Amino acid sequence: MTARRIVGRSLPRMDAPGKVTGTAIYAADFALPGMLYGRVLRSRDPHGRLVRIDASRAARVRGVRVVLTAADVADVRYGGSVKDEEVFARERVRFAGQPLAAVAATSPEAAAEALGAIEAVVEPLPPIVDVTEALAAGAPLVHEGWASYTALPILHRDGNVCNRARIVVGDVERGFEEADRIFEHRFVTRSVHQGYTEPRAAVAQWDSAGQVTVWSNTQLPFEIQSTLSEILQVAPSKVRVVVPGVGGGFGGKLRVGVEHFAALLARKTGRAVKVMTTSEEELTAAYARQPAIVELRTGVTRDGRLLAREGRLWFDTGAFAGSGPGVASVATLMLAGPYRIPHLLLEGYAVYTNKTNFGSFRAPSGPQANFAVESQMDIIADALGLDPLDFRLKNIVREGEEGPTGQVLTAVGLEECLRKAAAAIGWHDRRPGPRRGKGIACGWWTTTGGSSGVYVKVNPDGTVALNTGAAEIGTAALTGAAQVLAEDLGVELADINVVSADTLSTPFDFGAQGSRTAFAVGNACRAAVADLKRQVLALAARQLGVDEGALELRDGAVVAPAEGKRMTLAELARISQASGGGLIAHGTFVAPPTPYDAKRVEGHVYPAFHSPSFHAHAVDLSVDTDTGEVTIHRYVVAQDVGFAMNPTYIEGQIEGGVAQGLGQALSEEIVYDAGRVLNANLTDYKMPTAVDVPRVESILVQHPSLVGPFGAKGVGEPPNIEPPAAVANAVASATGVRITSLPITAEKVALALRERER
Amino acid sequence: MSKMALSLTINGESHEVLVEPQRTLLDVLRTDLGLTGTKENCLDAECGVCTVLLDGAAVNACIVLAVQCRDRAVVTIEGLAVGAELHPLQRAFIDAGAVQCGYCIPGMILAARAFLDENPAPSEAEIREALAGNLCRCTGYQKIVDAVLGAAGAPAAARR
Repeated sequence: MTARRIVGRSLPRMDAPGKVTGTAIYAADFALPGMLYGRVLRSRDPHGRLVRIDASRAARVRGVRVVLTAADVADVRYGGSVKDEEVFARERVRFAGQPLAAVAATSPEAAAEALGAIEAVVEPLPPIVDVTEALAAGAPLVHEGWASYTALPILHRDGNVCNRARIVVGDVERGFEEADRIFEHRFVTRSVHQGYTEPRAAVAQWDSAGQVTVWSNTQLPFEIQSTLSEILQVAPSKVRVVVPGVGGGFGGKLRVGVEHFAALLARKTGRAVKVMTTSEEELTAAYARQPAIVELRTGVTRDGRLLAREGRLWFDTGAFAGSGPGVASVATLMLAGPYRIPHLLLEGYAVYTNKTNFGSFRAPSGPQANFAVESQMDIIADALGLDPLDFRLKNIVREGEEGPTGQVLTAVGLEECLRKAAAAIGWHDRRPGPRRGKGIACGWWTTTGGSSGVYVKVNPDGTVALNTGAAEIGTAALTGAAQVLAEDLGVELADINVVSADTLSTPFDFGAQGSRTAFAVGNACRAAVADLKRQVLALAARQLGVDEGALELRDGAVVAPAEGKRMTLAELARISQASGGGLIAHGTFVAPPTPYDAKRVEGHVYPAFHSPSFHAHAVDLSVDTDTGEVTIHRYVVAQDVGFAMNPTYIEGQIEGGVAQGLGQALSEEIVYDAGRVLNANLTDYKMPTAVDVPRVESILVQHPSLVGPFGAKGVGEPPNIEPPAAVANAVASATGVRITSLPITAEKVALALRERER
Repeated sequence: MSKMALSLTINGESHEVLVEPQRTLLDVLRTDLGLTGTKENCLDAECGVCTVLLDGAAVNACIVLAVQCRDRAVVTIEGLAVGAELHPLQRAFIDAGAVQCGYCIPGMILAARAFLDENPAPSEAEIREALAGNLCRCTGYQKIVDAVLGAAGAPAAARR
């Protein structure tokens, strides 16, 4: 293998200069001349009948150009796996925050004033506030017409359950019979918000040909194109979605959020319209993480072998299915954990309630399921008198073994992750002082598949344009993909210019989701280079009068070493421009299907983890037994990244993912009371600040994936999975008190300690 | 409300604007002057993305009225680099890998700049305290803190 020049190095991200100088343009910054400002009127009631909505007074507010309600838009239901959503509530209001009307005005102030002038009469109905109520016998239906909705046929739907995904392996009852001990526990987690600092924003403008262009900070421009086509009732080719900069996504910017309002208001007014969310809208009407209830029943032998597990996880998916059916599916794989368990019965439920449509947040289902699984692993280890690390090592999956649905696991770096994280945290001394303890947690995750296309074009100056449909949401994934391109093409990273995320001009991409961007776009770049090389070598062979076989591509040039001849890429591009339409290559990639045993799954939209990653987190913390406050001293992550494409930005993913995970572990919760959010502002919704987050020590383990570019695996989501479990285990180690619900607030810990003393 | 003529000095340059008295500095910077490097999010001084310097002090431009800035010096992120020459803090943020989505970064850099002007040789804990009003959701703050330590001239490990 030749030495690698570009991949594997911590090169600065390509978009950094624009971001530190303030010249990078984000969707929230985007403006057009004469643009109007759109705002959305949202229901204050979590559930009710919409009796009347009168916008006539609002329409007369100075500066208002249009007010839209359900009567003004096509009566279509849209959505991913279940088409149950509507643009505005029509007859029934299903959550506090549901859109009732939208306004466009010449200033944001006029738009806000108009919202206050709309008369919306809602006759309240008792809300279904959680999963327990939704599943109770005789519970009212959130969607009385659920059976009539278009939905993926494989889903198992029934009333308030919009999917039940299941994995069955072996015979779980027999497993329990063989077990020496059976452990049953219940865990509860709350909703948390992605917390991106840039609100969701979109600007829409229609042209005379009936095409709408939407500049949006979406993670998935092609999905937004398709959803807008449904809502606006126009062909997808009439919808152009362009993504300027994105100020963070974390899964919260996957689905249509403001784009449809901007497009509808712009169509009606004939003007460009901008819609941007407020913090209150973010915390009441966005795609935050699902609250969850997890029940685990696990059977083990006396010497600590896992034999059987029955696990159920219920997600509150809110008023619409959204990501819920898929996330419930992924949850079942997470409930198995990265362990060998011969008998499994695992179920994930997505359940309708009268809350916002919870969605996908970085490793969706991961933290909730892992908190339960890894907390219980420690409880079991303690009960059996085993060291939690040894207990895990005894049961983890290893190279060539099967995952829960029968997929064959390869590149399994889990043991190395566990051992390295444990060594780094000083596991041999688990309770280094009074009220101080260490915790460990491990897990696995997928690298989402889907397809990616790129065009790679050589410019007449020898620089190279990478044209991709993927959006850069902050992870530096497109810098990683460009590193792959530069490496393979024999040019420098500085020679590459990235053009991205425009549904009109860039090739298709499945989008910035599921830790897939560097992985999939990187592989598409490799395919494009193969095509480009053929073109370049053929052209150079003709120009130089030598056989193609005698040519090599390196250092931005084609060389014939034996003949001592050489032509630069720039020269070849110019020749091609004059004679052959320029040098351009198309590269595509789709992750190969991961074989699994279809007999083991039901209602499942995500039956196997592609190129799975493995990880272990270890934390050392103290608990103030008077206040219950947790102070983290050290935090270590060992993550199997396959191949570290750019170590600095992988560390950045780990550090940021842990910080976000510690927020869910210790302080963050969207607090609901009877279907209404009590803390819809950034003071009362407590995200960690610079003084709250510890230093994170990253250990990059590299067991190369067979599929990823240079062996890379997805790295973005995993660091967000284990923090709640690691912290819960360390708190238990420090105090002897086991907290089974998130967040582990100081108050909760203090009360639990007092409870124990009684 | 009737508009007022206002002279604002931003990044050393004088701008004449005509604004209603209730309009914020943030709004005038972004909407009237096209200086969108100053970011917009919570509009309630909770997140820090709109941090600018007002007479050298870091303030949240979302809760400062434009009229309050009359005869005072405003510095935004666009005013830090000198031509193509980045400010040492901007360079340090790039070198430390402290930039991810970047939306909080202009505010972070300006908060750090105001802090370092007052306290040129800070400890890590002091830097964290100084940046506690600026939320970042991507980085976990670690490389941001390293960048500020680096810009202050200290090897990152020296002052932990």
